[in-house]
Amino acid sequence: MKKKKEKLEAEVQQYTKGSVIVQIIMTIAAALFIAPIFIIFNYSFKGKRELYLNNPLSLPEKLNFDNYIAAYKKLDLATTFTNTFIYTAISVLILAILCGTTAWAIARCRRKFFKFCYIYFIVGILIPYQALFLPIYMIGYRMHMTNTRFGIIFMYVATGISFGVFLMNSFMSTVPLELEEAARIDGCSVFRTYFSVVLPLLKPAMATLVIMQAFQIWNDYLLASLYVSKKQLKTLTVAIQSLFSAQSSDYTTAMAAIVISVLPIAILFLSLQKYFIKGMTVGAVKG
Amino acid sequence: MSRQYLALVLPGFIIFTIGLIIPLFMAVRYSFTSWDGMSPEKVFVGFQNYVELMKDSDFRDAWWFTLKFTIGNTIIQNVVALLFAIALDSGIKAQKIYRTILFVPCLISALVVGFVWLKMFSNVLPALNDFLGTNINFLLFGEKKTVLSGLLIANNWQWIGYWMLIYLAGLQSVPSDLYEAAKVDGAGAVKRFFNVTIPMLAPAITICVVGITTGSLKVYDLLVSSTKGGPGRASTSMIYQTYTTAINGRQYGYGCAMSVTLVIVLLLVALVQVKGLKSKEVQA
Amino acid sequence: MRKQKLVSLMLVTAMTASLAAGCGSTSGGEKSEGGGGSDEKVTLTVLAGQSTTDAGIEDMIDEALAEKYPEITLEWECVDWGNDFQPKMQQYMQSGLPDIMIGKAQDVATYAPQGVLGEIKGDYLDRGLDAARENVTFDGKTYGLVYNAMYQGVYYNKKMFKDNNWEIPKTQDDLKKIIDDCKAKKITPFGSHMVDTWSIGNVTMQFMMNDVFNKDAQWGDKFRDGQTSFSDSKEAQTAYEYNKLIFDNTFPETFSTEQTDCDAKMVQGEVAMKVSGSWSIQNFLDIDENFEFGIFPFPNQTGDSKLIFEPNITVMTSAKTEHQDAVDKVLDLLTSDKDLAVEILDYTKTASMLKDVTPTFPNPSQEDIDKYAAEGNIVDVTLGNNQLVWGGFQEENAKDIAAWLQGDESFEECLKASDDRVDASTAN
Repeated sequence: MKKKKEKLEAEVQQYTKGSVIVQIIMTIAAALFIAPIFIIFNYSFKGKRELYLNNPLSLPEKLNFDNYIAAYKKLDLATTFTNTFIYTAISVLILAILCGTTAWAIARCRRKFFKFCYIYFIVGILIPYQALFLPIYMIGYRMHMTNTRFGIIFMYVATGISFGVFLMNSFMSTVPLELEEAARIDGCSVFRTYFSVVLPLLKPAMATLVIMQAFQIWNDYLLASLYVSKKQLKTLTVAIQSLFSAQSSDYTTAMAAIVISVLPIAILFLSLQKYFIKGMTVGAVKG
Repeated sequence: MSRQYLALVLPGFIIFTIGLIIPLFMAVRYSFTSWDGMSPEKVFVGFQNYVELMKDSDFRDAWWFTLKFTIGNTIIQNVVALLFAIALDSGIKAQKIYRTILFVPCLISALVVGFVWLKMFSNVLPALNDFLGTNINFLLFGEKKTVLSGLLIANNWQWIGYWMLIYLAGLQSVPSDLYEAAKVDGAGAVKRFFNVTIPMLAPAITICVVGITTGSLKVYDLLVSSTKGGPGRASTSMIYQTYTTAINGRQYGYGCAMSVTLVIVLLLVALVQVKGLKSKEVQA
Repeated sequence: MRKQKLVSLMLVTAMTASLAAGCGSTSGGEKSEGGGGSDEKVTLTVLAGQSTTDAGIEDMIDEALAEKYPEITLEWECVDWGNDFQPKMQQYMQSGLPDIMIGKAQDVATYAPQGVLGEIKGDYLDRGLDAARENVTFDGKTYGLVYNAMYQGVYYNKKMFKDNNWEIPKTQDDLKKIIDDCKAKKITPFGSHMVDTWSIGNVTMQFMMNDVFNKDAQWGDKFRDGQTSFSDSKEAQTAYEYNKLIFDNTFPETFSTEQTDCDAKMVQGEVAMKVSGSWSIQNFLDIDENFEFGIFPFPNQTGDSKLIFEPNITVMTSAKTEHQDAVDKVLDLLTSDKDLAVEILDYTKTASMLKDVTPTFPNPSQEDIDKYAAEGNIVDVTLGNNQLVWGGFQEENAKDIAAWLQGDESFEECLKASDDRVDASTAN
């Protein structure tokens, strides 16, 4: 704690010419990074005609929400949004539970099978599911899982689990063994030890996992386009894609749809940011 | 005891096996057939698909593009993300605001990123030319020569903030006394960077390098909404090529053979990198 | 302890919820038993391969159906025709087809020979135009009901043509003169959006129709028999070369210009002509509802080009449906409800393939279409699309044409690439 304070003071003193230059460079970089986002917002308020006749950089003539209304209708937002939300929430919840227990068991049980399991799961990080989308799609319809909610959630869990196990595993060393042993001496079963002692200590790890999986599943296109095409099961990204494609690119509406689709995940990130960054730190240090 | 542990591992193990490992074996199996994805019979053809792959120039081009894209990403993303992280760690003001701004693009789906940059390159930036009276060629997606740089810009815009966050986390965990000691030894800023910062960042570098390479090798979503693999086939990635061959072109067995080559490359790359980078970590 | 309970409760809830959700949707997908009776509730599954302009017609059909046959519910699965229809059909070939499929006329040629499509009753077919039946009929049996059509050709700015005293070109020489005059007057002759590779594939088939298939209706079969090829056939090469004519006479940024931007340029008078299809009408009218445009077929070498129409929405049925009665009722509704037809045609800006149904949307090019139709100068592009399929062949050739136009491939390489793809040129 004291060291940190000293470091901070030193940094404050170091705020010199060099820092000013860095500050300016970073401000420019940040401005460049945020420009496309500004463009998305700008377009989302423009009328179709305005788009062709006015300069693309100009601000909208007036703040109209027509595109948002059109996006709501065209995307069948009530359905697609709910679907995406359900798929994401349930998959992430299952992943949080499974990855935690699996990683903990692997870390604590020294039998050969568990060592093998670790490597087995890691294969899934090294081979992203995208490389195997053809057979993944096929096993889906062989098992009658395509076009069901169960199927897509199952696949999100299956494709997300290796990363989750890897992430959780690197956190396990932050859980002090003494606590677990104490719990066991008190007569707690393995399950109980995990849920009452270990799990509460894994909060930052869980936050990291939740954010990372949530935004991947929320934004997924390939798997969703293969697995769910029934109207009442479609996800947001698949619906948005249909606004981009083929003969008419209705892109003012698409821009409004983009804003709507990004908002929930942005809110999730901002609210869990503190934990998330803490979680990343552990990951980055442990490898 | 271990039975209880087993109960904790098994559900994940089974789901993972069905969802990823069995498909892996299926891909290998179908890659030896000439199946079209429709007809009931799957004719075994041995290594014929692989022999044909060797002769297929579209397949070679797709690999070439994917490799260039991957190498470009790995270099640019690592270097820029590290520089940004160092800049943010150097004690500038409002660090959190920069961090959030740089991170936000990676919350957007790659599909949307592709679409947004398509608009940027074809509409927004050319308008900037009119505004500034300059004549910079912003139509990067329109030509074979420039399409790669256009896609690199889009992809880096999306992911730099993410990797920066990991580097930043790594940097902040470097104990400051290490720097002090180096200072006492008379090491300059550059020397301190290479002798203290880089070795201490080794785990973070491993994560970033492996993550960026495997992430770039599987690029697909980004292309669907931006270049659609074009112009011509100039930006057709491996997965994109597999998709068009197997699904639009009804050559399922052949497409599976493509998948298998991708899987092999992914595994090799990851193993080499992990081994190489880990050995560096130990030395440090 | 309470935390543990909470977590296990959550676990159980999540599992149950996902299971319930899974089961729920499976049971929803199941067809209700014994749908013979007229009052029993029947759910039909529908796979619809749509162009973007078609998205939304499912709601109109649902509404009309609810009025006439309230006992029938349609369970829609709408996918993008270009990318996803074929894969979905492949999937259903394994597990059983949906009751009704909506695709394009060329799909009938792909799936009818597999014996999975049901024959459509004459009563319903008779309510449609005869011209629509030809290319969806195999061995005397008709497997598709063609509902509407899109016209394809060269859209032109009527006012510009009048102001400059340009005649509708019939031959390549006529066209050449207009192009030269355009250039002299600093007007871009052709609008194009080659960033969309499909548009290159589309116009190439238009060219092929008038220069190849109009001369030799079996060209595609001969191509597969080895009697002709792209490298040998002067006509096919001419068709490819028209792409170059367009490319040399369009704006330089065509490989970065999207359809909407291209159409905007046309409406704003920067561009004289555009080889396109009915899907552009909506864009034109969105930007300026008073824009005056017409259509003519792209002139071929012999000056006898025909205007091209493409049957669009084509309804197919499963040979093994358990609810033939209900399927027939849906066909009845589609062919007899004229208000519904007009609503759909107006929405999609397409032409009718039903007798006595005319869309009411303003279409300045209708006059031209009527003229060619009256003269019998229209031709169904399905002829070409059946012999040289879109997915895996035309689509891939278009990529080579794009590479050739950009100088990344020689013309010979481009032709050879098409020849090498001969195995993929048919669906069977």
